[in-house]
Amino acid sequence: MSKKIYIIPLILFLIVILTFLYFLISQRDPNQVPSALINKKIPSFASTSLFNNKKILSDEIFVKKTFIVNFFATWCAPCRVEHEYIEKLSRDDNIRIIGINYKDESKKTMEWLNELGNPYFEVLEDKEGKIGLEWGVYGLPETFVINDKNIIVYKHIGPLTEKNFKGFYKKVKESYN
Amino acid sequence: MILFYILKKFILIILFYISFFLFIFINFSSAVEPEEFMQDEKNELRARDISKNIRCLVCQNQSIDDSSAELAKDLRILIRKKISDGSTNKEIYDFLSARYGDFILLNPPLKLNTIVLWTFPFILLFFSIFLIYWHNKKSDGKEIK
Repeated sequence: MSKKIYIIPLILFLIVILTFLYFLISQRDPNQVPSALINKKIPSFASTSLFNNKKILSDEIFVKKTFIVNFFATWCAPCRVEHEYIEKLSRDDNIRIIGINYKDESKKTMEWLNELGNPYFEVLEDKEGKIGLEWGVYGLPETFVINDKNIIVYKHIGPLTEKNFKGFYKKVKESYN
Repeated sequence: MILFYILKKFILIILFYISFFLFIFINFSSAVEPEEFMQDEKNELRARDISKNIRCLVCQNQSIDDSSAELAKDLRILIRKKISDGSTNKEIYDFLSARYGDFILLNPPLKLNTIVLWTFPFILLFFSIFLIYWHNKKSDGKEIK
């Protein structure tokens, strides 16, 4: 008994090491902060359309359909990389993609969309980043999946790439099936 | 040999001064820009206090008070706006953690999933005290051979 107790610190140490090892080898990226908004209703906001300057309320635009909300900007290099995958998503008729143009200039965005093509159902302007704050955005691009009940079901941080597109699209499909 | 000795001493003194000044700057630096300041000094201090407890999500180990990231600035301005609109500190913390999660608070709240985080140091402390006590009791009165 007397000697056995000395093994306890060793066991504790091993537990600590194993915990560290677990986080080291699991593919966890500490830059990806889990969203607090998952399974919550979308934060409401008012904005203007990039195309015709019309006032748009979030309650009017999100109607009984699967939506993808993509925060993007022309100054954001990964957004340009991601664009072809947003384009791919736009071919799916079951979803509508809303672009939120974060802290950007309207003219530059129009040029950007003319050059690369416009996959968005609607582009809303967020010149001061207020919508971004409401949605808990902290780095571009960020992409939300919203189901037909206006609940945020998934959030992807960073650009969609060849590597993660399949997984992302699976989440999108799950939300409308 | 002597030259080497003097050089070593010289470097040490320089390093000492550098670290001394860095220490001062680290303690008094903040990224708050002049145009952000609030008119009311009391409110400004309140805003600074809250900002020190809010994590900058871009840089992660800095508070938004220390960070010059764009998002940190937006959040500082938001906090100041909320204060002048009459929000309480708790309302501001709740507003931010509802959107960015508890991770944005540099002080994690006591919840079911953080209970280990909060209690583990105390468990370890009691365990160590017990171990020392138990060990001392065993050897009490015995002489070292």
